[in-house]
Amino acid sequence: MKVRLPRRALAIGSALALTFGLAACSGGDKGGGESGDTIVAETAFNLKTIDPHRQFEFTGSTIDNAIYQTALKFKDGDLTKPTDGLCSYELSDNDKKMTLTLKEKDAKFSNGDPVTVDDIVFSFKRLQGLKGNPSFFLDGVTVKKVDDESLELISKSPNPALPYILPNSSIGIVNSKVVKENDGSTDADDGAEAFLNENSQGSGPYKVDTYNADSKVVLTANEHYNGPEPKFKRVVLRNVAAETQLTDIQSGQAQVAFDLNADQVKSIDESMGEISSLPSTRSLYIFNNTDEKIGGPAADPNFRKAVMSAIDYDKLIDLAGEGSQRMASLVPNEFIGAVDKDKAPERDLEKTKKLLKKAGYNGEKIPFHYSSDQAVNGVDLAQLAQTLQAQLKEADINLALKPAPSSTQLDGFRSAKQPMGIGTWGADFPDPTNYNVFTPGGSVAERVNWAKDADPKLAKLAKTAGKAKGEDRDAAYAKLFQATTDTGVWIPLVQPVSTIAVGSSISKYVSNADVSFDFAKAE
Amino acid sequence: MSVTTADSTSADSPSNDEAQRIKPPLLPPLLRYILIRIGISLLLIWGVTIVTFLLTNLVPTDPVAAILGDRAAADPEIVAQTRERLGLDEPLIVQYFTYLSNLLQGDMGVSNQTRTPVLQSIGQVFPASIELGIGAILISVIIGLMLGLASALNQNRFLDHAIRTLSLIGISAPTFWIAAVGYYVFFFKLRVVPGAGRLDPWLQPPPRVTGLYTVDSLLAGQMSTFVNAFGHLILPSCVLALFTIGLLTRFSRSSVLDIIRLDYVTAAKAKGLPARTVIFKYIFRGALVPIITVVGLAFGSLLSGAVLTETVFAWNGLGQYAFRGATTLDLPVIMGVGLVIGVVYILVNFIVDLIYGFVDPRVRVR
Repeated sequence: MKVRLPRRALAIGSALALTFGLAACSGGDKGGGESGDTIVAETAFNLKTIDPHRQFEFTGSTIDNAIYQTALKFKDGDLTKPTDGLCSYELSDNDKKMTLTLKEKDAKFSNGDPVTVDDIVFSFKRLQGLKGNPSFFLDGVTVKKVDDESLELISKSPNPALPYILPNSSIGIVNSKVVKENDGSTDADDGAEAFLNENSQGSGPYKVDTYNADSKVVLTANEHYNGPEPKFKRVVLRNVAAETQLTDIQSGQAQVAFDLNADQVKSIDESMGEISSLPSTRSLYIFNNTDEKIGGPAADPNFRKAVMSAIDYDKLIDLAGEGSQRMASLVPNEFIGAVDKDKAPERDLEKTKKLLKKAGYNGEKIPFHYSSDQAVNGVDLAQLAQTLQAQLKEADINLALKPAPSSTQLDGFRSAKQPMGIGTWGADFPDPTNYNVFTPGGSVAERVNWAKDADPKLAKLAKTAGKAKGEDRDAAYAKLFQATTDTGVWIPLVQPVSTIAVGSSISKYVSNADVSFDFAKAE
Repeated sequence: MSVTTADSTSADSPSNDEAQRIKPPLLPPLLRYILIRIGISLLLIWGVTIVTFLLTNLVPTDPVAAILGDRAAADPEIVAQTRERLGLDEPLIVQYFTYLSNLLQGDMGVSNQTRTPVLQSIGQVFPASIELGIGAILISVIIGLMLGLASALNQNRFLDHAIRTLSLIGISAPTFWIAAVGYYVFFFKLRVVPGAGRLDPWLQPPPRVTGLYTVDSLLAGQMSTFVNAFGHLILPSCVLALFTIGLLTRFSRSSVLDIIRLDYVTAAKAKGLPARTVIFKYIFRGALVPIITVVGLAFGSLLSGAVLTETVFAWNGLGQYAFRGATTLDLPVIMGVGLVIGVVYILVNFIVDLIYGFVDPRVRVR
């Protein structure tokens, strides 16, 4: 049967084709907008809020770094030396009293109000009072205004980590007057979060223009910022999957991509973009439950050490990509208290065999838990688990993989019921005290039933490290964490690399371990 | 014998005779049909609230830890306070009735993660998915029906085999892969479509009326924004449409083949009517009724199944919102999205039922 399309159908078809054609041509159409003064940055959102005293995730932190100034900061991303920010500081000999003196007297909030000591005191107290995720930063610290120039932070016990804590964007300084006017307070009744999400109150180079926690946050330049005026007046941070970020960077659709993995990074042509590689402040490790009833073979120290010597760490480095590093403890190599990476565990299958014999292990399957939907700095945990399973199989160690979504997996880990698995830790602040949670009795150690009195040797080393001062701290903590690794409760796997892809339309930028990408300094 | 039986029946039971008389119905059949369907739909929606609530609350994990994060969750006092604030310390049945009561007042709760009312967020993301869904369904219907018709009219010829193979590919190809390849080829290599998102990032969305950027930009008279929004819609719509095109092609082919063999079509051909008239007025119209069901259901599935497409194209619609809610164990979001998708399916079915009722009178008196 021969069919001729009716004229009406042809007309509709032509009209549609014309419209599609027109729309397709809009690929390069700016639609009347300006793209030259805008940086488009892309990341897969984990955004909950940009209220500085509540946020604790990467996306919120990236935004707040551009909006809020902090009392102290890390100059040029050097995480070993906190320097002056809005204030200069002085720490007493016993590490219990810190005096902050307002230094940036011309600093102004985005509405033009000057930054005062009262704003700093309010910000610190609000962080403490909200009882949110970052409140622990100032646990045991009393905040007191001295005069219009200075304030004091009094710690209950020696707190040498305080200068390393204060640069965190979660301790950003807000305009207390405006926040209070909008239901802000220094206790759990505070109701200013929604207001701060849509009307940031900082003195940083940018302020928030549009906030949508699911799709996009737009920042515009803060005209009252006391530093150099940013070249890019607008920053658009979009929620985009890593696969799409790669294409967008290559095409010039975006200027910054935060989530590319090692393979994606390799595919970027130099003419299309540049890769900024920074040592990540996250650690990947294997945990072993020390309770025999739960951990089974994993609770045996010989078995744990056998696992440690069965892993092919070089292949894990390949998996994590160029720039990733071996670790001898969970403390990142750039922090004080890190154990020299030359002392990192090595693969030795002969040693494994002997240790397994000592442990009496007969090849039984051990449940191995990990988050199947999580990637840490581009390292896919599912892929890592499969790699480890294959490597350990070569040493006759049988892992039964137990993947689960992050929330479920974390729940199991927190309840201390998992025998073995992959753990991740991101530094809250670059000081070794942040890793005390991994020593016996620490909050993470409890998840593998490692009690405070389990290892007197470690307890002694921890005590010594806690008392150490100045340059001695580095060695004392390195000794503690070396001994912690030796037990095999935590097997450090790899320190991944944090890569940021920057599009070729940006000629100059600053990217460091502190702020990852500084929008205000990009040109 | 038969007469006697008939006589005796009529003589012995006058009441039966009365019963056999057809009483006028209380309600006109069409109205009765509509009311019954509304009743069924409301019952189904209630059922959906129970199912989403139970499924969400039976997940073997603690949402409080996911909400608070590692640090705050380490403090039992804060955990207890949060549990109490969210009503999670109440028995499940009490939690359900609180949920239902809030729902009846238009309150779907607040996202545990972003502290934004779920209804407000759904209001923002739903139009994005609707816009994508409409685009996809238009493309699917036009192409799917045309291919199905062409395939049926060329049964067992080369064209038929080719179309059937293509439709099979459309149905079985993984959407995520198609989306990624499509984005790479048509945006990155050929530059015939714009990049991800609903608009170029440096453009402001048009003033909100419907939430559909194409419609709102037209209403605001912003032609360049319209062209930009329409351009962004093309590729994700086409990707999303692929599965439905395959489905519709196969369904309309078999539907047309069923009709083509009926006597009235043979009669129309025998009368010497032009081929075009026979195809479009007799065959296609006859085949269209069962296709309506497929189109309706396909629209529902497009809205709920767009997660992967929305992810690749950074299309912040219902799918992405649901994905984020699920991965962060945001119970109010999961329940809200589940309910909305359930209601959409029920509504679509209701509309399809109504169309049947209007089109085919036999349906409403069944």
